[in-house]
Order: sequence, then structure tokens, then C-alpha cells
Amino acid sequence: MYQQWQSGLFFLVIFAVLLLGPLSGDPLQAIPADRLAVWPLTLRQRLALRVGSLALIPMFWIALPFLFYAGGLSIAILLIAVALVIQLAIVLWNHATSGKPRWRALWRVPKLPGRLGGLVQKDFRQMLSVLDTYAAVLLAVPAMFYRWFGHPDADASMIMALVVVIALSTYAQNLFGLDFPSGIARYRLLPLRGREILLSKDISFLAAVLVLTAPLAPFAGFAAGLTALAAGHPASVLKMQPATRWRFSSGVMSVAFFQVFLLVAVGVATARSSVWFLALALAGYLASLWHSGRIWDRNI
Amino acid sequence: MISCRNLGMRFGDFTAVDGVTFDIPAGGVCALLGPNGAGKSTIMKMLTGVLAPTLGEASVGGHDVRRDSLAVRRIAGILPENLGLFDLLTVGEHLLLSGPIYGLSAAETRARAEQLLEALGLKDARDTFAAECSHGMRKKTALALALLHNPRVLFLDEPFEAIDPVTAHTIRDLLAAVARRGVTVFLTSHILSIVDRLAEWIIVLRNGRIVLQSAANELPRSLEEHYFEVAEPLKVADLTWLGSFPS
Repeated sequence: MYQQWQSGLFFLVIFAVLLLGPLSGDPLQAIPADRLAVWPLTLRQRLALRVGSLALIPMFWIALPFLFYAGGLSIAILLIAVALVIQLAIVLWNHATSGKPRWRALWRVPKLPGRLGGLVQKDFRQMLSVLDTYAAVLLAVPAMFYRWFGHPDADASMIMALVVVIALSTYAQNLFGLDFPSGIARYRLLPLRGREILLSKDISFLAAVLVLTAPLAPFAGFAAGLTALAAGHPASVLKMQPATRWRFSSGVMSVAFFQVFLLVAVGVATARSSVWFLALALAGYLASLWHSGRIWDRNI
Repeated sequence: MISCRNLGMRFGDFTAVDGVTFDIPAGGVCALLGPNGAGKSTIMKMLTGVLAPTLGEASVGGHDVRRDSLAVRRIAGILPENLGLFDLLTVGEHLLLSGPIYGLSAAETRARAEQLLEALGLKDARDTFAAECSHGMRKKTALALALLHNPRVLFLDEPFEAIDPVTAHTIRDLLAAVARRGVTVFLTSHILSIVDRLAEWIIVLRNGRIVLQSAANELPRSLEEHYFEVAEPLKVADLTWLGSFPS
């Protein structure tokens, strides 16, 4: 009995992480921050608004019965409590940092050379200001230690590399989320083709994938990263939605399922069958870059 | 340099711009005026290739704005309505990002950026993230971006709003100087005192249609008189509850 519970725990934790992403979203984002700030509400009312806004997240109502069914009442309550703590931490963080410069640490990301270097620098900073990246780091680092200190199981490393890419994959289907609204306007004015703009975004994503998966399963990780981008490009240019810094990225559920299915299939095939699947992933990526770039150009 | 023929834009049933026609020769300043919602920004967006016109045609520097918007954006310097800045880049980094995209070398970009930061009073804000800048500083940064690559035509959407008076006059003189050197300046503004001194051509819009189009020196009356004649005054007489408080 204990072993059954223990064997399911890993997947429950992974599922919980995926659920907590949407749960850390902010329904109050629909209200302009400056407007919310000037409303005559007490701190207690603001906290109530923040906590109550959880009920406006559809995922909350989807997750609640599932968690109750899968993990029992205690697990469901625990995960809801974690979601509430995330909301509370956001309120406290915003309160503590209001009026202060927030992004000094991001200065350290240098400008890269080349025509797109400035855009890549900006995109690196964007990746460093979403929680997806840190969730991926949290998954990758223990897996690296696990591998380095006596457990060189290739299959386990490959699975963890794919989990790391899954953690980053939502970002790959909403690449322009942190550019809303002003940055999108700048992209539309720059004399760049859609494929160049997407490429500048992909470079930072692929760099993160490479750094985090190279110690685990580099070929499988890179193939999965290319596939995540290939599947995410169309959503990035057609279903743009605003994102918020220091939150998980939000995306489209149907795209996410498709993306995860593809990236796992290509990653596993690359690791187990042939490295030629990496070339296939690259071809798929280039086709997606070309196609979605044309969509961007046409929409302009 | 700028040519519009029966240019129009419809959003569903709403007509934002209704068949406007005008020609602006190279070199000189043209001001597009009109009340809020008249269609000024929509015309700007169509001329810069951001919005595809639903009616008519337009060209900038001989490039069709619909078919060759990339070429238009290469020769144009644009100050858009919402400024178009990236929150996570500093003022200085915006300029260093933009130069190479327009084909400038890194050294040339740095040299021009320094001069623009100096001219527009942005030196102290060089290392400030755009998200942390005041609206005026953001506007000046966007203006510097429009000028950096030495464009043949400038599209400036309300360049003087939210700018302090001294900088506004500096910008006015700067625009007059670049226009004398052959750059075409097409701008919108609500600050008639500046426009009156700067613009050589005036176009006034109302409800998406041109209601006045003239060389500035051929206007029979002052620009302000003409403007107030065509703009619809607001009705504030009914807001009697404003300023009435319970005892």
C-alpha cells in the first residue's frame, strides 16, 4: 500500500506543479494596476479581492475535483493552500517593492553582437523574469546531482530532461506575452521579417533548454526544445495574450497537450532510436519558423 | 514623399477613416490635426504599414504601404501612439538595439546614441529601465529611436504631449532643422501653438474625413480659429453635481 502511494506521488507532484501554474495566474490583471491602486479599498478588502479572485480561474474548478479524487481531501486542501500562499506572496512582494526599481539584477544580461543581439538580450531578460524558468531550474538541478552522484541511468536522465522542457514549454507558446502592449507595437515598426523576430525569441529559449538539459540528455532535450517551439510558434503569433512578470506563463490548453505529446515523442525517439530524429525536429522547427513568420508578416 | 488616394479604414461597421486624399512633397512639415477619435492615429498606422487600409491606397517614398510595408519601415522613423518600448531594456539599450537592425555599425550606433541622449536630455536616464521611466522620458526615448537611423520621413504621433516646455521647443527646432535638410515630417498634435510655428501644411480631420487642407501660410485666419471652427465643443453645462457636496 505504501509503495503504491509512493509510486504515484511523483506524478501527483508533477501534475500539481502543472496545475499550480495556472493557479498562480492573476485574474486581477484585467484591472489596470494604476486603477486598482487608486480605488479606496482597505488592506483587508484588497486581500479578500486577491484571495477571492482565485475562484475566477477556471483551472481552479477543474483542479479541485480532480485533486480530491486523485489525492484525497488532504492533498486537495494542501494544494489550494499553496495556491493561496502564492497569491499572498505576490501581494506582499508587490507591496514591498512598490516604487522601487525591480530589475537591477537583469542588467547583468549583456547585449549580444549582431543585428538581433539587442532583441536576444531583451528576450533573455524576459525568460529570467517568468517562473517557468525557475521551475525548470528546480527540476534540472536535483536531477543533475542525482545523475552525477551514483545514478547514471540514461532513461531517468532523459525523462527528467523532457520534464524540464515541459516546464518551459508554455513559454514557447506565448513568446510575446511579456511584450504586451508596447513591445508588440515596437516589433511592428522594426524593419524585420516575422521569422527574424521569432528567431530572436527562440535563441534565448533554446539557450535555456541547452543549459538545463545538456548535463542530462542533450540531444533529447534539444530535440524536445525545438519541437516545443515548432508547436508553439503558431499560438505565439495567432493567440497572443499578455503575460505578467514573476508568474508562470499562460497558454492554450489544447496547444499545450499537442506540444507536450509531440515534444515527448520526439525527445524519446531521439534518445532511444536515432539522433536523426533531432534532424527531423530541426526540420520541423525551420518549417514552423518560416510558416509562423509569414503569418506574422501577413497580420502586419 | 507621402501620397494617399481615397484612403479608408473600417472596423466592422465603424468607419475610422473615410476616403482621405492628400500629397506631401519631400522635405517639410505636415501637421495632421483633429479632435480625439478623428482618425489621426489610424492614418499614421496605415501609412507606417501597421494597419492595412480597407479602402484606397497610399505610398511612402514610392513604396506601397500595403504591399511593401517593410521598405516603408526601413526609410521611416516612427513615434507611435503607445511609444513602443520594451519594459526590460534601459533607455540606452533601446538605442543600441535599434541601430544594428537598421544597418548601422555598433560604433556608429553608439556615437549617434550619445548625441541623441544629450540633445533630448536623456543622459541621466540612460541606465533606467523603460518601465521605470516617466511618460515624458519614455516619449523622448521613442523619439530618439525614431531619429537614430537618419530616416527619410518621420511619422510622429503627438510628439509634444507629456514633454516639458523647454524640451518641446528643442524638439520643435530639431524637427524644423531636419525638415530643412530634406526630411519629411508628418506629425499629429494638439498643441496648436507649436504646430502653428512648425508646420508648412495643415490637414484637419473630423470623423475620419478631411475638413481642412491647406498650406499653413495660406490660411486666412489663425490656426486656432480654424481648428475651433471645425471641432465640436463639449457640453459641460449639465454636470451641475460636480462641486456640490452634502453639508
